[in-house]
Amino acid sequence: MTSPSVPVAQTGYPWPIETARLDNGLRVVVSEDRSSPVVCVNLWYDVGSRHEPPGQTGFAHLFEHLMFEGSVHVQKTEHMRYVQGNGGSLNATTNPDRTNYFETMPSEHLELALWLEADRMGGLVPALTQETLDNQREVVKNERRQRYENVPYGDAWLRLLPLLYPEGHPYHHATIGSMEDLNAAGLDMFKAFHRQYYAPNNAVLTVVGDASPAEVFALADKYFGALDPISDIPAAPHGHLPGPATEPVRETVTGNVPAPRIYLSHRTHPFGTAGYDAVTVLATVLGGGRGSRLYQRLADGSRIAQPDYVGAYGVDLAHAPAPLIVTATAKDGVDAETLEAGLIEVLDSVVTEPVTEAELERAKALLTTSWWRQLSTVGGRADTLGRYATQFGDPGSAGYRLPAWQAVTPDDITDVAAQTLRSSSRVTLTYLPNPAHPGEPS
Amino acid sequence: MTLVASRPETGPARPYAFPAVVRTAVGGGTVVAAHMPGQLLATATLLLDAGAAREPLGGEGTAAILAKALEEGTRSLDSAGFAVALERLGAELSTSVEWDALRVGVSVPVDLLPAAVELLASAARTPKLDPTDVSRVRADEVTALRMEWAQPGPRADAALRADLFGADGRFGRPLHGDPTSVAAVTVEDVLAFHRDWMLRAGVLLVAGDLDKMDLAALGATAFGGTSGSPLPVEEPLGVTIPAGRRTILVDRPDSVQSTLRLGHRAPHRAHPDYVTMSLAATVLGGAFTSRLNHLIREVKGYTYGIRGEFGMSRRFGRFLVSSAVQTAVTVPALAETVGEITRTRLDGVTEDELDVARRWRAGQLTVDMQTPGSIASALATLVIHDLPDDYYEKLRRQLLEATVDAVSAAAAEHLHPEGMTLVIEGDTAIIRDDLAAADIGDITDATI
Repeated sequence: MTSPSVPVAQTGYPWPIETARLDNGLRVVVSEDRSSPVVCVNLWYDVGSRHEPPGQTGFAHLFEHLMFEGSVHVQKTEHMRYVQGNGGSLNATTNPDRTNYFETMPSEHLELALWLEADRMGGLVPALTQETLDNQREVVKNERRQRYENVPYGDAWLRLLPLLYPEGHPYHHATIGSMEDLNAAGLDMFKAFHRQYYAPNNAVLTVVGDASPAEVFALADKYFGALDPISDIPAAPHGHLPGPATEPVRETVTGNVPAPRIYLSHRTHPFGTAGYDAVTVLATVLGGGRGSRLYQRLADGSRIAQPDYVGAYGVDLAHAPAPLIVTATAKDGVDAETLEAGLIEVLDSVVTEPVTEAELERAKALLTTSWWRQLSTVGGRADTLGRYATQFGDPGSAGYRLPAWQAVTPDDITDVAAQTLRSSSRVTLTYLPNPAHPGEPS
Repeated sequence: MTLVASRPETGPARPYAFPAVVRTAVGGGTVVAAHMPGQLLATATLLLDAGAAREPLGGEGTAAILAKALEEGTRSLDSAGFAVALERLGAELSTSVEWDALRVGVSVPVDLLPAAVELLASAARTPKLDPTDVSRVRADEVTALRMEWAQPGPRADAALRADLFGADGRFGRPLHGDPTSVAAVTVEDVLAFHRDWMLRAGVLLVAGDLDKMDLAALGATAFGGTSGSPLPVEEPLGVTIPAGRRTILVDRPDSVQSTLRLGHRAPHRAHPDYVTMSLAATVLGGAFTSRLNHLIREVKGYTYGIRGEFGMSRRFGRFLVSSAVQTAVTVPALAETVGEITRTRLDGVTEDELDVARRWRAGQLTVDMQTPGSIASALATLVIHDLPDDYYEKLRRQLLEATVDAVSAAAAEHLHPEGMTLVIEGDTAIIRDDLAAADIGDITDATI
């Protein structure tokens, strides 16, 4: 049989997009799709942990929790009850760049979702209480314990960021924040945080699914139109870096982990640039799937790495050169030095043995499927459009990403690898099992 | 600043419909497909009656090793050749072993589905299974389980399962085995499992734009070279509840949280009380506003999250509450949790709470079923539990019509806080004395 191949995409966003801007600056994006009776409402606020000053790490994320605890016309617990009690799913996330809030509802509840979002955009501060703050502070501290402290290797990201970005850089600290700063967080600081950043002119409202643009624009005006803009929203500290790091950095952690693990990381290019598109394809060539170089050479070939734990991925940050992280975990009897040497050899091979057309085709096919999978729900589409509207000023630019990945050439990959993956700019984080407690009893 | 003070009215609802289901008999097998017009991706999943329930006692993990070994090459392609052939289509093989089935699936742009199903079928039906490769996969699987068991949770879950179903039976042992059982599986066990259970036709689940597919051709690919008839379904295990509560400690030194797994046995999935039981569990521990999440997270701040649910398979079920709480509040968190389960059993649910549960669960049937992958999973539920093609429409009506009396009766009938097993995985040096003093249940130490 002749092997069929993945078609080249003319656009990565073949659905309609309409946009409007309210007088108060709120940008509204609508993408109609009637194939299912559901609608997603998504808000991107252009505030994340990069805006946090020293001593206030974790504030943007703790604030996100407070947004679910009631506002002037919504009692504590009612937000969740109105959404779930009408069949919806909801959540919110905070990262270094931004905070997003979203709910997917049966479409007859579109207006309810818009009302809830407007009420917490415009009316959160009067409803904030010390009791709510104290409760959610404990919840967030338990989130930190559960996700970062109580699992082997769980703090890798918290350790990598300060090694990758210098003191004072907006990406130097992790979004979850420190226990010390969380404990010091006072109610007035959160009221000020809302007044400073949660404004219509600092947000993008995206609605995708079973709703028409005219209907959404009218409802957006009804619920958000009278909210006041904020005139002096402070910018985040500048993310400019003069270029790749010039000195390698390494950190070794000995602790309660079951096997040696290595993370190699480099700052590359900001998300949304041609350089980062090449990094995205490169990460898939290196670490995506069983046909990747890391899998083929370290898990299958020399068999020094555990097959389930080899990987390479970019972290899609837009306001400074984003990290590429390459990782592997040692098989039984393999030491960290051997594993690190193997990883470096594969990383270096990108320059010394240029990526072939076949490797590129494989990586692009996997990226194509993952792109369409992300866009297969109204929630995934809304978040994508909100991102491109917030970070690049045009939701329609989402359509360029997939064609841009598909256009990456072997030379692009070699160039970006030669420029950004040098040993002189490498961050190496190594985990070693504590010899007194070799892993967990089994 | 002017906000609209009144909550808006609900707009006109569109009628609910599950995608049209098409069943096509091909050879000895059946293609069960759902039509999703305009979808760019399509999913195909081969569903075989080759789940962990088919493993012999002592052979826990055989199916999981086999599932991984399927990707080590076929009769015509070596391991790397197979991986590259599939990945050039944009697909990766997803395999899963559950109690009732082994699934092998692919998701790809719809035009590439025939080629992807061809590769899927060759891996499932004619894998190379070279003894050297199988031995290596087994060793890797032992290591992978050790990695997984170093996380909080799997050991607690194993302790609970053993206590509920008995470590002397297959259902009392972990779904994917433990590092010791997997190490003991032989190459011949794996080959025999493939020969005995993977060569019956089974069912091919397909979700996507059926106008762009030839289901008979996909079925012919998936079922080629198979033989044997479908296996009979065995009787449910029944629900036995001990007279008293038991507390089992799993030591995890230096844990900053205690991982909780509390549970008891429950009916199987096809039990007539399924709808009312699961609504009772939604009120107790399913929704964000559930009794447990409200009290333990939103009022007390003991945890990042807690949930309670009935997990149900073809032959048995289990009521399970899971959470991770700060070590210092382990005892009050346990006491409050058991208290809420007891209150729900004794006092039932309220109309306000049930209304949230009904409408949430009904809404999820559209909100959570937008993708070919989620629709293929919904089809798997139909096949495994022998449910009709209009099941989801009926389920939605039953959810919306369930009464307070019926759901409260299900809570009284199917929640057993007095006979529950409480497994606590944490730093026992810190929590043991407090637990003993609290007198929540007899304390034993797990041997895991």
